[in-house]
Amino acid sequence: MLNYSFMQNAIFVSIFISILCPCIGIFLVLRRYSMIGDTLAHASLAGITIGLLFDQSPVLGAFIFTSICGALIEFLRTYFKKYTDLILTIVLALSVGTAITIISSGKLHANADSFMFGSILTVTQFDMVMVVILSAISVLALIFLYHQMLYIAYDEETAKVAGVKVKLINYIFSILVASAISVSIRIVGVLVLSSMIALPVATALQLGKGFKITLIFSIIFSVIDIMLGLFLSFYLNVAPGGFTALVSVAVLVLVLLTKRIEVGIRAIH
Amino acid sequence: MIQAQNLYFSYTGSPPYVLNGINLEIHKGEYVSVVGENGCGKSTLMRLILKFIKPTDGTIISQAKRIGYVPQKNDFSNSNFPITVYEMLNSYRKLLKLKDKDVLAKNLDQVGMSSFSSALMGTLSGGQTQKILIARALIGDPDLLILDEPSTGVDVGSQKEIYGFLKEINQLNKITIVSVEHNLDAAISNSTLIYHLINGRGHLCSPQKYADEYLKKTK
Repeated sequence: MLNYSFMQNAIFVSIFISILCPCIGIFLVLRRYSMIGDTLAHASLAGITIGLLFDQSPVLGAFIFTSICGALIEFLRTYFKKYTDLILTIVLALSVGTAITIISSGKLHANADSFMFGSILTVTQFDMVMVVILSAISVLALIFLYHQMLYIAYDEETAKVAGVKVKLINYIFSILVASAISVSIRIVGVLVLSSMIALPVATALQLGKGFKITLIFSIIFSVIDIMLGLFLSFYLNVAPGGFTALVSVAVLVLVLLTKRIEVGIRAIH
Repeated sequence: MIQAQNLYFSYTGSPPYVLNGINLEIHKGEYVSVVGENGCGKSTLMRLILKFIKPTDGTIISQAKRIGYVPQKNDFSNSNFPITVYEMLNSYRKLLKLKDKDVLAKNLDQVGMSSFSSALMGTLSGGQTQKILIARALIGDPDLLILDEPSTGVDVGSQKEIYGFLKEINQLNKITIVSVEHNLDAAISNSTLIYHLINGRGHLCSPQKYADEYLKKTK
């Protein structure tokens, strides 16, 4: 299996995805913004179709359009303070509308379907370069803004008192989310992308540890989910996106069961 | 330390105003409790001092070099958030760009919470949480401490400890304190001044005078 060059490319990209997604996902989950991941995943489909329409890299198209949509969500927050869920509906309508219109126009010179379900066959050299660049910038930004983002998620008002530029960092964060989504879209696919962002974090939260340890375990669970999903989907000859989502749910259930058994044993003793 | 002149505030930008022509001067070293009925504008005044919101009209100026803020426990507390006491304090220190790590242990010791450094914030009681939030607010030696109802969800024993500590740092360290209070007994016993807000207008008075007025009303 590892002799195939497409598989080597897929593994290479998967390593970056499995690190980047939970790093972004932990802040989304803790700020109760998990659904933004889903909305921006759909925005990335519109970006892909725009990229393909102009014979450009779909990953680049996804990154640019998803960044714009991420910034739009942040911008609309000012106007829909009490109905933030409505913002996601607006951006979702814009994204899905754009994608469907372009796909149904018949002007695409390539097939956008592989981006819906994820595919290990379609990772190109250019995608790999994009993945490395976007991942490196995102991880550096996360390291640099770690404490600011942690505080905005935990206690936004105190972050403001401490001088954190909350609005600016929220915009930067939108771009980081767009970056993680664009990087992941080839392998995981649009439909289950949000699960890659939220599920490893949801599993790590079950351990009841502090922030840093939760983040480390989110990455560990993410690596397990994506690698296992990738290898098994290869042997089962199914789309990696869907199977990775199933593996991540299975790992979450396993951790929940282990926790249950541990509590039961403790109660007996 | 804080000066407000002809301060008006309305969330819609037009009348009726939540704060209706406030003139207020708080001097350095005072311990002022802001009291009043629900909806009288206490929290709005606090948010204006903290610059979370801008006045509709008039001015409010704070000359504090550094502000320490203790939010209302119920406002932000997310018991499921995976963060330890140490992580919360250390990240705050990093936000303030302070290099000295020893300040964390010193502040925890000051509020009697040294042994809770590795505890998860969500596992603490109301009183313990409030003490930790005060320890955090004191990082960086602020000259102004703003508290939003510090006794909410706190047991009576911890309330005594917290108010005793606040009085101590006000008198010994000369930290100016502005506390939004619904606990009138605590406000009367600990403050140097009371700011009584009624329907968006307020006046400063001594705790004794306020106690006389308040006790008269309740009798």
